[in-house]
Amino acid sequence: MASIELRGVRKRFGETEIVRGVDLTIPSGAFVSLLGPSGCGKTTLLRMLAGLERPTAGSVMIDGVPVDDVAPGARDVAMVFQSYALYPQMTVAQNIAYPLRKRGVPKAERAARVRDVAEMLRLDALLDRKPRQLSGGQQQRVALGRALVREPRIFLLDEPLSNLDASLRGHMRAELIELHRRIGRTMVYVTHDQLEAMTMSTHIAVIDKGVIQQFGTPLDVYRQPANRMVAQFIGTPAMSLLEAEIVAGPAGGSVRIGATPIGSAPPGAAPGPVVLGVRPEDVELAETGLAARVRLAEPIGHETIVQLDSPGGALTARLPAEFRSAPGDPLTVRLRAANIHLFDPASGLRIGPTAALAVPATAQPTTKEAQDLG
Amino acid sequence: MRGTLAHLVRTLLCWACILLIVFPLLWMLLTSFKPEDEVFSVPVKLLPEEWTIEYYRILIEETAFPTYFLNSFVVSTATTLLVVAVATIGAYSIVRFSYRGRAFIASGILLSYLLPSVVLIIPLYMMMVEIGLANSLASLVLAYASFALPFALWLLRSFMAAIPEDLESAAMIDGASRLEAFVDVVLPQALPGIISTMLFTFILAWNEYLFALVLVNADAVRPLTTGVMTMLVSGFNIEWSLLMAASVLMSLPLIVILAFLQSYLVRGFGAGAVKG
Repeated sequence: MASIELRGVRKRFGETEIVRGVDLTIPSGAFVSLLGPSGCGKTTLLRMLAGLERPTAGSVMIDGVPVDDVAPGARDVAMVFQSYALYPQMTVAQNIAYPLRKRGVPKAERAARVRDVAEMLRLDALLDRKPRQLSGGQQQRVALGRALVREPRIFLLDEPLSNLDASLRGHMRAELIELHRRIGRTMVYVTHDQLEAMTMSTHIAVIDKGVIQQFGTPLDVYRQPANRMVAQFIGTPAMSLLEAEIVAGPAGGSVRIGATPIGSAPPGAAPGPVVLGVRPEDVELAETGLAARVRLAEPIGHETIVQLDSPGGALTARLPAEFRSAPGDPLTVRLRAANIHLFDPASGLRIGPTAALAVPATAQPTTKEAQDLG
Repeated sequence: MRGTLAHLVRTLLCWACILLIVFPLLWMLLTSFKPEDEVFSVPVKLLPEEWTIEYYRILIEETAFPTYFLNSFVVSTATTLLVVAVATIGAYSIVRFSYRGRAFIASGILLSYLLPSVVLIIPLYMMMVEIGLANSLASLVLAYASFALPFALWLLRSFMAAIPEDLESAAMIDGASRLEAFVDVVLPQALPGIISTMLFTFILAWNEYLFALVLVNADAVRPLTTGVMTMLVSGFNIEWSLLMAASVLMSLPLIVILAFLQSYLVRGFGAGAVKG
């Protein structure tokens, strides 16, 4: 069990700054997903936790102790690589035993611990095979076994499921959740798959452009996205963003799309144009409301995903499976006022209450900062 | 029918090519067992009428051939070890670390390989005299290493570049130092490349003639190539049977080494390291 703290961590490769000032506190025993599009810096962040990369600025602490000068092998962290990185010339048993061998664990104990882990991951029958004789799922379990056998303080997982096929991925997801529940160690999980992040994590850190956009529980991040980037990245189909306006009134501000009233604005919101976010499940058919036209209807069995053109822009709705229409059909929909999200059109920041830490979506390093780092 | 005929033609063609390559070797082998007077007998006979191993006996018991053989063996082995040690570490450094001048060194190495070796002989000889190594086996080891290294570095560099960095990262997280990760993970993966480099260097050093001719002129330190030539080939006379016997004995080590290492080479190439 160990907590992790990142303080002002930055990483620059040549001219490009990949990680641009990350502050993050991961509580002991948490399962934290670092979620973001490719190239956002999440893997670099993980490698800095492992000690494979050295931050150009800032500090990494484990259990309150700075580990910047501690070698990867001495940090007591284990890592599962996207490529699995199994040692090709060693058997499964030798692969799993390697970290123990490097720590000078006696041979008999080594064998016993390898057996335990192999049993837990159902690898017992494969111990004498070489990695290339295993399927992707089996290789993945060996990589996991090599991390587990050490009983490290922290597990780092870099997209461990991305090389598996869909059904196996679902299965391994469940196994990882179960594993975390059983051993209760701190786990940091890098993924670009929001479904993995939502289902497995206790906390999600949404990362984009080298900066943490939001850190919170999966539901916080889903229900109260801190900015437009988070709003659009989390949820499938993605949240629709519409052009709307806050109009001042005697009883407080109200939100409109064109002339159609949608709901009341949060207290203190300034009148003017806003970006209105609404998830597909919060759009429903109604007698009165927003007039729209059907662009495309995609029946997927238990429901129908309908793409609409509305006065505020493109809108996606999740409608009942029985819904039938042709492109061009007029339609009236209502947006559930309690579940709409408002964002500042300039900064992209959420207007109104946010559950957790929020940073501007457009954070740019200043020239001064760049010089300090160089 | 046409298929069979085509197959037959192909087979004949293959055998013709093989014979073309094998015949001189076969001729060398058979001549080494022929008495001197049979070598030039007309009509030409393939097989000796009277088999003799007399020339092998003379070569081993009455000439300096064993000394030359030992010299060649020592020089080739030392060169190979030196080249493999330096090239392995050098190639790893070029592939893995970034430092000032790395790209320049990498391409400079290749350029130096393009220099004709004849140009280097005289300066090299003078340098050897200067540092007191003229007429020694060490001078040959240094000279051979200097021109085997560029190629060895490039060969190993491509092998090293194909080894996923994740493997070393994993080893270091698992508790290995960089050196341990190199030994535990990189070396086994680079083994086919290392063996190719060893073969290349050993053959090069074993067969080298020009440098040996210039750098060494004392009989005690001559390698096989120059030793046999000065001993058996003079302006007036060539001892054909002895020369053929010497040639057979000179070829043996290479044949043995190739036979052993070939299976290693093929085995190493099949290894799939990482799913990707």
